[in-house]
Amino acid sequence: MSSKVIKVAVVGNPNTGKSTLINALAGTNLHVGNWAGVTIEKKEAFLKYKGYEIHLIDLPGVYSLGNNTAEEKITIEFLIRERPDVVIDVVDATNLERNLYLTIQLLELELPLVIALNMWDEAKAKGIEIDYKKLEELLCVKAVPVSAVKGEGVQELLEAVVEVYESRGKEREEKCVLHFEDYLEEEIKYLLEKIEKIQPVLLDLYPKRFLVISLIEGNTFFIDIPISDELNREILKVRERLEKMYHKDIVSLIVEERYSIIISITEQVVKKHKVKKADITYILDRLFLHKVFGLPVFFFLMWLLFEFTFELSSPYIDWMDSVISSFIAPLVAHWLYEAGASPWLRSFIVEGVIGGVGFVVVFVPVLFFLYLFMAFLEGSGYMSRAAFLMDRFMSVLGLSGKSFIPMIIGFGCNVPAVYATRTLEDRKEKILTVLMIPFMSCGARLTVYAFFVTIFFREHKTIVIMFLYLLGIAVAVVVAFVMHKLFFKTTSHHFILELPPYRLPTLRFILRNAWIRTKAFLYEAGTFIFATSVIIWFLLHIPIGVKKPENSVFGMISKTVAPVFEPLGFGNWQAAGSLLSGFVAKEVVLATMGNIYSGQVVREGDLEEIDLKEKLIEIGKGFIQANIEAGKRLITFFGILSDGEETLPVGENRSLVETVRNAFTPLTAFSFMVFLLLYTPCVATVFAIRQELNSWKWAGLSIVISFTTAWITTFVIYNIGKALL
Amino acid sequence: MRLSEVGRGKQCRVKELYLSPEMKRKLLELGLFPGQIVEVLQDAPFGGPVKIKVGDYCLALRKSEADNIEVEECNVQ
Repeated sequence: MSSKVIKVAVVGNPNTGKSTLINALAGTNLHVGNWAGVTIEKKEAFLKYKGYEIHLIDLPGVYSLGNNTAEEKITIEFLIRERPDVVIDVVDATNLERNLYLTIQLLELELPLVIALNMWDEAKAKGIEIDYKKLEELLCVKAVPVSAVKGEGVQELLEAVVEVYESRGKEREEKCVLHFEDYLEEEIKYLLEKIEKIQPVLLDLYPKRFLVISLIEGNTFFIDIPISDELNREILKVRERLEKMYHKDIVSLIVEERYSIIISITEQVVKKHKVKKADITYILDRLFLHKVFGLPVFFFLMWLLFEFTFELSSPYIDWMDSVISSFIAPLVAHWLYEAGASPWLRSFIVEGVIGGVGFVVVFVPVLFFLYLFMAFLEGSGYMSRAAFLMDRFMSVLGLSGKSFIPMIIGFGCNVPAVYATRTLEDRKEKILTVLMIPFMSCGARLTVYAFFVTIFFREHKTIVIMFLYLLGIAVAVVVAFVMHKLFFKTTSHHFILELPPYRLPTLRFILRNAWIRTKAFLYEAGTFIFATSVIIWFLLHIPIGVKKPENSVFGMISKTVAPVFEPLGFGNWQAAGSLLSGFVAKEVVLATMGNIYSGQVVREGDLEEIDLKEKLIEIGKGFIQANIEAGKRLITFFGILSDGEETLPVGENRSLVETVRNAFTPLTAFSFMVFLLLYTPCVATVFAIRQELNSWKWAGLSIVISFTTAWITTFVIYNIGKALL
Repeated sequence: MRLSEVGRGKQCRVKELYLSPEMKRKLLELGLFPGQIVEVLQDAPFGGPVKIKVGDYCLALRKSEADNIEVEECNVQ
C-alpha cells in the first residue's frame, strides 16, 4: 500500500509558538528556504504518521487575511491556490479572542481546519479555562489542546489531522456557518446571486463566502481576473446600503461583525479564574520599559550581548584558525605536492581557495554566538521592548522603533541585519534602514581595529574602539536624517507592535535557531566571499610568474586607486589594495595586508611532513581547550570582570606588525580605521541589500553613499588631527 | 476623551478610531473595536509610545495614534 500524502498548512498569529510547534511535529526533518520572490522564511517538513505521509508547510505569522502585507499575501495566495488538505490553525490559548479573528476568516475560506490550542499549560497557569469541546461544537472543527514547548498534545494533533483528512469532501453543515447579522447576511446572499448571474467564473475560482465578504470589504488583491463593471456597480450599491443601514464604514462593519461572533463564542467557552500568581511580564516590564531606567538597562544588555559574543567566541575562532592554517592548508599543500601539482596550482588552491573559504569558516563562531544571544532575545520577547524604547528617537528620522532591531543585529554582522528588515512593512522605512545598516560596525571590522589599536593606541584601546562604534552610529543618523529630509519626506510612520509576554526560550529553540541562521550565512554569503577571494587571488598572480604583488594586476589597480586616499593620509598602494579587498569582507583587509607586506607569493615553508593522526589529536585537544577557555571567560565574566591580559588573534604576526608600524603614523592609522568603518558595505551585504530590496539600484546607491560619507568624514577627521598635532 | 489622555493604570472603553482606513482596519482587527476595554499600562521616555492592554494581550502604539482614538471612561473593577 502506498502511503497517502496529506498536505497540511500551518497558520497562526505571530508569537503563538508556531515555529516551536512545527519543530515539535517535524523534529529534524525541517527544510528552511524562502518563499519565491520574497525573503520570508519558508519552512517545510515531511513526516510519517500511521501510514500517512504528512507534508507540513509553515505559513508566515499573520493577524488577519485582510491587509496587504507580504506575509498576508503569501498566506492567502497559498491557501486559495494550493488548497491544502488540512489547515492547522495555531491559536494562543492565553489570548483566544484576538487569535480567533484569523480562525473566523479561515472558516470563511471553507478549509478543513484543526485548531491547535497552543500554550495550553500557560493558559491554565494564568487561570484561563477553555471548554475546547464546546469550542469544537460551536465552530464545527476539531480543537486540540497543545503545549508545543513541552511536546504535549502533539500526537493528538496529528490524529486530528488524519481524522479531518479522512472526513474531507463532506459539505459543511448549514448550522456550522457562522452568521453575521440578518441584514448583512441578506446582502451577502444578494451579492452571491448577482455574482452567479454576472460573473459566475469567480465562484469556480474562489470559496464563495470568502469571495463575497472580501468583495464587500474591498479586499480584492487575491482576485486575478478583472471584475466586470456591472458587478462592481452591484458591489458599490451593496456597500452603500450597508453603510447607510449601520451608520459606519464597511471595514468597521465587517470587522466588528466578526468580533461579535468571537465574543459570543468566548463568552460560552472561556472562564477566567483569579490566580494569585504574580504576573512576570508585568513586573519585568516595570523595569525594562521604565521611563528612566528602561534605556540604561537596554544599553547595558546590548553591551552584555557583544561582550558575551566576542569573549566566548574568540577561543573558538583561534581554534578554527589553527585548524585551517596549520592543518588543512599544509595538508592539502602537501598532497598537492605529492601529486606533482605545479607551484602555481598549489598556491591557487591553498591561498586562493582554502584562504577564501577559511575566512568565512573562521568567522562562523562569532556569528553562531551572536545568533545564540539574538535568538534568546527574540524568543524571550525583549526585542519588541527595545523597539518600544527606541521608537521616539527613530521617529525623528522618519523611522519607527521596529527599524532599530535590524540595526542592533548589524553590530554583529550586516548581512543578517539587512535580512531582518523584512519585518518592516513600509518600503521607504525599509530602504532607509537598509542604508543605515552598513554604518553599524560589524564583528569583522572589529578584528581590524583590534590589530591597529594594539600597535598604535595600546593605552587607549577601549576609548578608540568605542569612539569608532559611536562614530558609525552618528554617521548613520546624519545620513538617514539627510536622506529623510531630501528624498523621502515621509510623514511619520505608524508604529503598532504587539508586546508578547516574556517567555523563557528553550535551549532547543535557541540552538536550532542559531544553527539555521549560521547555515544560511554560510550558504548565502559564503559563496560570494569565496568567489571574490578567488578573483583577488588571480589578480594578485597575473601576469603569470609575477614575483612581487606590487607588479601584479592587483598592485596596478591599487596604485591607480591610491591617489584617492592621499588626502586622507594613507595614499600608499598597499593600504589602497587592502581596502579594495576589504570590499569582499572587512576582515580580509588584514589578510591582504599580510600578503602584500610580507611580499612573497608562495610560502614554500608550508611543505613540511604532516603526521595526520598526531595533528587530529592536536585539533581535538585544541577544541577541548577552546571550550575550557570559553568556560573560564564565562566564569570570570560573572566574577566581576577581572580585566586580564587580552589576547588578540594577531599576536604572533611579528613581521606584519613591524611593517605596519613603519607604514602608518597613529593619525593615519586612525583615519584608516575611520575609513574602514564607513566605506562600502562588504560584498555579502551588498548582495543581501539587492536581494532584500529587490533592486540593484539601491545596492549601488548604498555603496556610493557610504563611500562618499567615508571619504568626507575621514578627510575632516584627518585634517582636524593634522591641525591639532 | 482621547486614549492619550487616559492616566496610567486606568481603564477605558474604545468609542471611535479617527485614523486612515488602513490603520483603522489594522487596529480593529487587532481588537481595538468600539466597545473593547483598554487599559493604559506604561509609556516610553521622551513622549514615546504607550503600552496598552487590549483584551488579553499588550500592544504598543504611538502617542499620535492614541491621540486619534476616542475613548470613554469606564469602571470595570
